[in-house]
Amino acid sequence: MSLAEPAALPVATSAAPRLDVLKRLGTRFKASLPAYLLLLPSLVFLALFTYGAMGRVFIDALYQRATPKAPVRFVGLDNISAVLADPAFTGAVVNNLVYAIGTAIPSIGLALLFALALSRTNAVSSALRAALFLPVLIPMVAASALFMFIFLPNVGLLDFYIGRLLPVLPNWLGDPDIALYAIMIITIWKNAGYYMLFFLAGLQAVPEDVMEAAHLDGAGPYMRFRHIILPELKPTFLFVIVIATLNAVTQVDHVFVMTQGGPSNSTNLVLFYIYQQAVEHYDVGKASAATLLTLAALMGLTALSFRTMANREGGP
Amino acid sequence: MLFSRRLMLGLAMAGSMASALALPALAGEGPTEIDLFFPVPVDGKLARDMGTLIKEFNETHPDVKATAVYTGSYDDTLIKTRAAIKAGKPPSAVIMSANFLLDMQIENELTNLDALIKADGTTKEQFLGQFFPALQGNAVINRSVYGVPFHNSTPLLYINADKAKEAGLDPSKPPQTWAELTDWAKKLTKREGDKVTQWGIAIPCAYDYCGWMMETLTMSNGGRYYNEEFGGEVYYDTPSMLGALTWWNDLVYKHKVHAPGATPGPAVSTSFISGNAAMMMLSTGSLTYVRDNAKFAYKVAFIPRNVRNAVPIGGASLIVPAGLEADKQKAAWTLIKWMTSPEKSGWWSRATGYFAPNMAAYKTPEMVDFLNKNPDAKTAVEQLDVAKPWFATYKTVPVRKNLEDEVMLVLNGKKQPKEALAAAQKAADETLKPYNAETSLKLP
Repeated sequence: MSLAEPAALPVATSAAPRLDVLKRLGTRFKASLPAYLLLLPSLVFLALFTYGAMGRVFIDALYQRATPKAPVRFVGLDNISAVLADPAFTGAVVNNLVYAIGTAIPSIGLALLFALALSRTNAVSSALRAALFLPVLIPMVAASALFMFIFLPNVGLLDFYIGRLLPVLPNWLGDPDIALYAIMIITIWKNAGYYMLFFLAGLQAVPEDVMEAAHLDGAGPYMRFRHIILPELKPTFLFVIVIATLNAVTQVDHVFVMTQGGPSNSTNLVLFYIYQQAVEHYDVGKASAATLLTLAALMGLTALSFRTMANREGGP
Repeated sequence: MLFSRRLMLGLAMAGSMASALALPALAGEGPTEIDLFFPVPVDGKLARDMGTLIKEFNETHPDVKATAVYTGSYDDTLIKTRAAIKAGKPPSAVIMSANFLLDMQIENELTNLDALIKADGTTKEQFLGQFFPALQGNAVINRSVYGVPFHNSTPLLYINADKAKEAGLDPSKPPQTWAELTDWAKKLTKREGDKVTQWGIAIPCAYDYCGWMMETLTMSNGGRYYNEEFGGEVYYDTPSMLGALTWWNDLVYKHKVHAPGATPGPAVSTSFISGNAAMMMLSTGSLTYVRDNAKFAYKVAFIPRNVRNAVPIGGASLIVPAGLEADKQKAAWTLIKWMTSPEKSGWWSRATGYFAPNMAAYKTPEMVDFLNKNPDAKTAVEQLDVAKPWFATYKTVPVRKNLEDEVMLVLNGKKQPKEALAAAQKAADETLKPYNAETSLKLP
């Protein structure tokens, strides 16, 4: 682009303004053609498997059958309002919010704590890092299967130990008041180590000289943490929060394996609701509408966070 | 990306090589290639057994080449079958959970098998007559055959015989009524102060199992659960179901012999195996697991009655999806008939623990021998005399869930049986509304 522009400029000054814009666009396109060509293979796959599917969802969300034998007909936004009016959906949204907040905050807090404790590399901290990272390597489905045994009422590992302390043993996955929290524990256990990696990387970026200067000025560990480390970690925080929120919406493997959304819908999350609509209710219209709503929420969230990040990086 | 491209290239090459190898073999008319979708609802060994079965079929039937495609759980199999039908490439045969057939028939996804039966020169009655009568309800819709029973189960009462003897009970005379069962459960519950160290009985309640157990209890209480003749009605808010749920609730909160909360099937069987629960109600499908793992003497018995002895069946049927070419349909039919023949049916039953739907299977020498060695496998077959169809309605799964969600609330002490069943009925009626609108309420 930097090579092409000077050549285009003299022409542009003499031509009409509209033509000038077109030409400049043309030259720009010509200059970035190799870039587009390089992007083409992944664009093809994105179009086929991501945007194509999204388009299909968009169309499916507008159609519905009135009765089983009736043909599908265009219903506009009816599916979306049906989803919004469905108590199971609002319940799933509330569950998902509780789940998102209840998993993101503890796992990010733990991750930061781990990262701060293990930021200096030596044999012990490397071993501990590996140990804390281990849950990330276990597939969610395998982890859920493991936790099912831990949570087994009366005979599970957890009840075996806690049973000595409590008169009535909790039915971890069978009690609607507890089940969601049991599910959240697994997520925190699994994700804290992953987020720790980002914080470890973030901590590497904290400038050594600033820390030294603070040290010389007599700032204690808390002051250094509060006024130097935390502000420096802000982009990491933003990034991890986005990832954690996305995980809260897109990772429902343990719900599939352990509770199927139950008991009494107490662990039903939005993605599982969509699955239920599509598979159990065989209602493609409603499933698509719920997918659209979720997509919109996620895209809004991502756009917002990227903007915040861009603003920060664009600043002085 | 690179990896996936390479993989695709590899697949393409493997594909072309395979066809190159296969081509000379099929001089002229090749065998009809068909796919069989099969789920593995119990454990991984089933997949290997299925491989053995299909290999034998292909060796004995040169004109058909069947491929067994593993499709996950019963629910996954339904999803994959529907996806394949939507994509215009239905599998030729599927082992489908027996209570999904009605829903699929309503959605026009099944081939009516009457014509294929007729083409064989047999009548429908002759064909169905091979199978236990209890299994026919889930295979026949509007007097047409839509499925062929393949492997089936009923719920059983499992008793830890050692613990029964300890408590002064005679395991050779298992409880036959709810009153006797309640009494047994009380005697088999051990407490240390307020804490229960051994539960008298465990009954599973997780999605799918919970509905099945509610049907079991309701039927032994004289009820029906659903309208066997018409997919638009369920009988949740009825005395028979109220009695069933109240008794279950009493076992938990009045007699305190059943652990509170909803307990999934695997947790129930683990609890029984570990001695934490002295009795349990579970599927015959768990019999092999209990036989292999129990370190104590156990006994299986009929589900006790309050009004009558009656239980629902479970398990799966073979179906042929709609929209197949005639030659594939015929090949699938050959496969289905072979798989449900007495000999193969019995083999599959011994390999898996399900009972064989084909009655003649129990006359084969291998089966007689097996039953002599494992008399507990007989109980399930004997109970078939009082077995009835598995609930199947329009949108079976959501309608079942309407009930299960409420039952779970009751077992957790959050609702009373009466109000729970009223709420379940209301929710189910709402789910069934579109179907009724086009059938029972569509008036001239």
